[in-house]
This record gives sequence, C-alpha cells and structure tokens, in this order.
Amino acid sequence: MSPAGRPLDGIRIADLTAMWAGPYATMVLADFGADVIKVEAPGAWDNLRTLIRPPLARGEHWWNSNAYFQEYNRNKRSLTLDLTDERGKELFGRLVQQSDVVIENFRADVMDRLGIGPDWLREQREDIIVVGMASFGKTGPDASAMAYGPVVEQLSGLASLTGYGDGIPFKTGVSYGDPVAGVAAAAAVVTALIQRRRTGRGQVIDLAQREPMTTLIGEAFMEWAMNGRLVPHRGNESAEMAPHNAYACAGEDEWVAIAVRGDEEWAGLCEAMGSPDLIGDSRFRTARSRLEHRTEIDEAVGSWTAALTKQEAFERCREHGVPAGPVWTLPEVLGDPHLATRGYYETAEHADVGTWAMHGWLWRSTDAGPCILAPAPDLGNHNREILGGLLGASDDEIAALAASGVIGDAPLGERTRSEILGSRR
Amino acid sequence: MTTAPADGAPEAGPLSGVRVLDLAQGIAGPYAAKWLGSLGADVIKVEPPSGDPARLAGPFPGDESDPEASGLYLYLNTSKRGITLDLDTGEGRGLLGELAAAADIVIESFAPGHLADRGLGYEALRERNPGLVLVSITPFGQSGPYAGMPADEITLYALSGHMWLTGDPYRPPLKNGGSQPSYQAGLNALAAAIIAYYGSLVGGEGTHVDLSAQETLAGMLELYGPFASQAGIDPKRRGNTVSAIYGTYQCADGYAGVYCLPRNYENMARAVGIPELLEPPFTDADERLRSNDVLEALLSGWFFQHSGREIFELGKSHRFPAGYVADVEDLLESEQLRERRFFAEDDHPRAGPIRFPAHLWLSSEHEWSTGRAPTLGQHTEEVLDELGVSAGRRGELRAAGAFGTGGAS
Repeated sequence: MSPAGRPLDGIRIADLTAMWAGPYATMVLADFGADVIKVEAPGAWDNLRTLIRPPLARGEHWWNSNAYFQEYNRNKRSLTLDLTDERGKELFGRLVQQSDVVIENFRADVMDRLGIGPDWLREQREDIIVVGMASFGKTGPDASAMAYGPVVEQLSGLASLTGYGDGIPFKTGVSYGDPVAGVAAAAAVVTALIQRRRTGRGQVIDLAQREPMTTLIGEAFMEWAMNGRLVPHRGNESAEMAPHNAYACAGEDEWVAIAVRGDEEWAGLCEAMGSPDLIGDSRFRTARSRLEHRTEIDEAVGSWTAALTKQEAFERCREHGVPAGPVWTLPEVLGDPHLATRGYYETAEHADVGTWAMHGWLWRSTDAGPCILAPAPDLGNHNREILGGLLGASDDEIAALAASGVIGDAPLGERTRSEILGSRR
Repeated sequence: MTTAPADGAPEAGPLSGVRVLDLAQGIAGPYAAKWLGSLGADVIKVEPPSGDPARLAGPFPGDESDPEASGLYLYLNTSKRGITLDLDTGEGRGLLGELAAAADIVIESFAPGHLADRGLGYEALRERNPGLVLVSITPFGQSGPYAGMPADEITLYALSGHMWLTGDPYRPPLKNGGSQPSYQAGLNALAAAIIAYYGSLVGGEGTHVDLSAQETLAGMLELYGPFASQAGIDPKRRGNTVSAIYGTYQCADGYAGVYCLPRNYENMARAVGIPELLEPPFTDADERLRSNDVLEALLSGWFFQHSGREIFELGKSHRFPAGYVADVEDLLESEQLRERRFFAEDDHPRAGPIRFPAHLWLSSEHEWSTGRAPTLGQHTEEVLDELGVSAGRRGELRAAGAFGTGGAS
C-alpha cells in the first residue's frame, strides 16, 4: 500500500463524532484513505477544540491547534453546519447522499432529537451505513446513560480487575474505553462496506462503547463460570510468574518492569544481576518455587535495580534475554530509540504552533509511506470546497449561510468565545 | 451454541466466503481471528502438535489443568476449525503453503523472521497468492532494535507510557488488569485485517501488515502523549481522581465514579441535591477547582450514602456521567447486556457451563455466530479432504510427522 493508494480511497465518511472515541474511529478510517468530513456546528463544535484553553492552546484561532485535538483528527476535512437549522439539515442531507457512512458518538437520543436518525438518513441514501457509538448502546434500559471513558471502563469490568491488592479499584491512566470503542467502530464500518459490496445494502450499526471493552477481559468471565471466583487485584504481580513486578531504580520515581516466564529467563536474570549462584538456589529452581518465594525474589531483584538507572537495568536484561521495560515517562516514549528507528513518529505542523512529533500509523504495510498527509482541520476550513464543490452550493448561498451563522470558522461569536475562556476547562 | 438471529436479519455473516488462517497463539491473534469467524469467515486455526500455549493457561474448572478446558483458550478460539501442523517438517510446511495459497487472510504472531526462515514469509506466500493479506502481530514489530526482544504484558505496558500514567502518584506505577497489551494488539489486528482485506478486494493487491503492540498502545495516550510532544509537558499518573468531579469514590456497596466535564456539573449538582453545590464558589469552573478539596469532601459523604447502582441511575435520570465499578458477576446479571444478547452460553463437555462476551457491536444486517472452540486437531481430516489430499499421501504425511505424533488418525 503506497501513500498514493490507500485501502479506503474513495470512501466518504460524514463524521459527526466528537471527543475521543468517535474521532479515534474516524482517525483510523482517514489514515487508511477515507475522505472523512468532520461536521461541526459554529455553536456545537468538537469539545476537544476548546477543552484546552490559552495559554496552553496557542494562536489567534486557538481552538484549532491544541495537540489533543490535532492528534486524533489529522487527515480529515472540516465542514461546519448548524443541524438545528433547516438549511443546515438540508445540506447535511446532500452530504449524506454523497457519503458511504455516517458515524456519531452522541448520547443515544441525540440523532433522533435532531431529526436525523437512521430512517431519515436512509431516505437520503438507501445504502447508507449508519454507525452510532452510544456508551451503552441505543437499546435497553441503560441506553440513556451518558459516559466518558473512565465510566465505560468501570462498567466494562476492567476497573474491577485493576488495583494494588488492597481492595481499591483503579482506573487505567487514559480514558481507555475510548480508543477501544474507536478501533472496534473502524472495524464495524469496513465490515459493513464488505457486506455492502455483496448485498448492495447499507446497515445500521449500534456499537455500545462498553461492549468491546468487556470483550477484553474474557478469561475473568471464564474464572467466574468455572470456579465461581472473581479475579483478584494483583497489583503488578502475576499468578503465574515471579519475578513479575515494577522495581524501583536509582533516582526518584524511576522504575523498571521485569517479568520472568520460565527457567531459562530466570537463569538469564541471575546472570544479568551478577548472581549466578541464585540459578541453582533450590528456593528458586522452578516456576512454582519462585512463586512461593516471591518476596525474597522481589527483594533480590529490587536491591539490584536500586543501584542502576532504569535504562541500565533494561539493557542488562535485554542482553540476557529477559523481558523488561523501563517505565517510560511520556517524553521518554517520544524519545524511544526503537520507535524512532521505525519512523513511528511523524512531523505534525500547524501554522500557529509550528511543528511537533505525532504518532503515525497504528499499524502499517511494510511499504507504506508517511501516514499524516494533512493536519487536523481548522474549524470550517473546507466549507467552501465541500459546499461549493461537492454539494453544489453557489457563492451567494455560501455567503448567506455564513451571514446567518449556519456555517462559520469560529466557535460562535466573540462574546461566546470570551465566555468559553472564562468558564471552560 | 449460538445467539438466536433477530427477526428479519438477512444473513448470518458479513464475512461469509472469506478464508482465514490463524497461525497465531496466545491472545492477540486468536482474539482477532475469533471475531472474523463470528462474522462468518471460515477460520482455520493451525496449532503446533503441542497445542496453543493458551490451552495451558487456564482458568480450569476446579483448577485442574486440562488442555481441552482452558478458559482462555475456549474464549479466544470460538468460531474456528482446528488442525495441527508441525512446521518443523517439510511436509507440514508444504501443507501450510497450500492452505495459505487458498486463503484471503493469514494472521500470525511468530517472532520476526520465523515464517520466512521456513520458506513461508510474505514474499513466498504472495508469489502463489497475490491478493493475500498477511497480518503479523508482535510486541515490537518486524524491524528496529527491539524486534524479537522478549516481552510480557507488564513490560509492554511500561514501554508504551501507559504504566507511568496508571496508579497512585505516591505508589509504584500500576499495570492494569488482565492482559490488556495483548488484547489491544488483537483488537487492532482485527481492524487491520478487515481494512487490508477490503483493500485487497477492491484493488486486487494483498499486503503485509506489520503490527506492533507497543505502537498500538503508544497511539492511545489520550491528551498526555500529544501534549508531552507539542508543549513539552511531562505529565504524571494521577490515580483515580483528577478533580472532585472527575474521580472515583467509595460508595455504600463498593466504588462508584463521577466523571464530569464542566458542562455536566450543574446536572450532577442537582442530582446530588446538596444545596451548596449550586452556589459559589462551586458554580464557576475555575473557582470550583480552587475549592476542590471542599467539594471532594462533600461528594465523598454523599457517595458513601448511596449504592453504585443508585448513583448510575441518577446519572441516567439527571444526565451526567456516573457509573460504578462493576465486576463480572454484575455484568452477567445486567439487564442491559441481557437485552442486547451480549453473552453466549455453552454447556461444554469438559469445561461445564460457560458464559462469555460474544459480540463487538450490533447490526441491522448481520448476526454474530459463536461456535465452540476446536479440540486439538479436531478438523485435520476434514481440512485435508477439502485440500484434496489423497489417502495415500495422507499416510505419507502422517508418517513424516506433518501433524505431529498424535494429530490426524
């Protein structure tokens, strides 16, 4: 797959998603070639644009450039349309006629309230593929619940499995449910495209963000079914492996994760630690006995790592074939030499902030060129080319739409903008 | 064992007719392939004669090890047929080549170079089958200094930045539950396989997808990764509670959470019903942050008096994001998930009655089928029949150990 030919070339997505889960889905689709038209309203823009305020968000048009918004909206085009206005809705209908997919991650009732639910969409285009990503789905007694990633994680079961072992559940550091739902939604869209090729029919997809998350803990359901037990919090320990932990290194809050899966790796670790005598130590000879003597092992490994930097401990483990990873801070992830060699980070650019590194392909064909062909779009940046070119609106019509606020290139007017600055975080 | 089709659903599988070879073991590849099977693809799982190591991972009924009753294996290998092939024999490799020549998608998770060393690398497979999609899943990808480096869930979590962000700021960084780096790689591999297959269907050209678990994880660092890059910020883990209105609290029967953006605050405050919450300083987002400790104390008291389910219901009726920490028992009893037919059930001959997640989304045009995971080598004869392998050749293959010692009979 060369950059000139991506698998989803020629597929058009009318993208109503906002925040992280939905835009993550359309990021995947855009990266792989779909023409993703991000539809926002001058009064209802993607909240990620303004979640970060100046001075962290820079430039006169500061709602366009923040890194969070930029990362997950690259390779998309921006169209503003007020969908509560009849003219906006009519133009959206024309966009749907020219699109293969409409995708949204609103609360379950919002599309119907806007009068653009699946029936209306199918009236615009019979074979349209409609994807909704409500947190708990569009049906059932919990359909009306709203949630961001951490709530989805709590109600997926994952939070019940994460913790230090003192009974307190922990959330994953990021809003983990969002990208999980996003990747699943991208798979759903392309599955529907494959089916449409054969049947000629579109479809309505109801993806509850919680459900793909719950598929990521399958073995916990099996433990319950087979033995009636809940999987306990294990902190950084493992039920099968010792050593298996994060070990403190020299410096403050510096850690290296080490896991030993078998006797060979144990021997390797003993060599790495300069303690070959431990290989034959009867307390540690088998996986089972190492588990029984977990505390002594953690002490021995911890006293070795305490004198080393996390990079040094990592390198020594590597040399001896032992699975290890320094607990990278985020600047360290960005500087990871392996990711650099693979060209994982590409250069993002925005006129108001200059250049910075942004992750490229989530996965790649071995002959793929660069992933990022365009930065995330300024609000309304493609209004003219889409309305005029694709939807056939005249210059006069476009001017009238702008004058009446159906389209725009800023979050409402100046007054509202100062309110955003004053009250949003 | 299958979920009942909905009224009027026209066909069982959107991927019917798609042929998949699942050479992967463990979690990631099998997870991707199982959903391809549920979506209607014909998935052939190829195991070494010793079996997928997931068969040894458990959980097991009564904690008694049984390679045909491992919960991890049974969950990750639904909707597949199973054969054994010993790729260390020329005959095993030959058969794999024949299967790959007839496949649309091959998923593998060997160390980089393992298949190529056996004459089964992408170039060789493509020569016989130009439309083939090969998805290679590894911890670090096919190239670069870490390629082939051994990894485990916790080391991948560490090397991707997620571990640094997870856990209490005054305690060590924390791995999240289960085997998330592998599952994450598997979910991405599913999307990768489907997208690449679509490209092959349209353009006639296959491709080799190089998927690194580290990279899929490093691409989902929310705002923290992007801001570390753009603004030179070095964010640190913040535990469960980022602010009083974005955190987890102990509730009457466990733990519950409220994760509000400023725009959700007023609805939450009305639901909580403490009059002060609707007065200054709490009505202003910035003032609220300056009084965060006071607000947190007020909310802590309130949470403690309500059950998790009550709090979730209040979130529904008052439209603010609230939830509770559900365990698998809660989920199995969830009316919502029952109504959406989320779980499949099987009364497994070795493992007993099991219930587990069985779809990723719902569609107006297709169902998800859930076939019982194959026993070791269960479909070897059937697949050989389909390949047109004669009885005589079958004997030679068996004698050469192509199926291992106990494979096809």
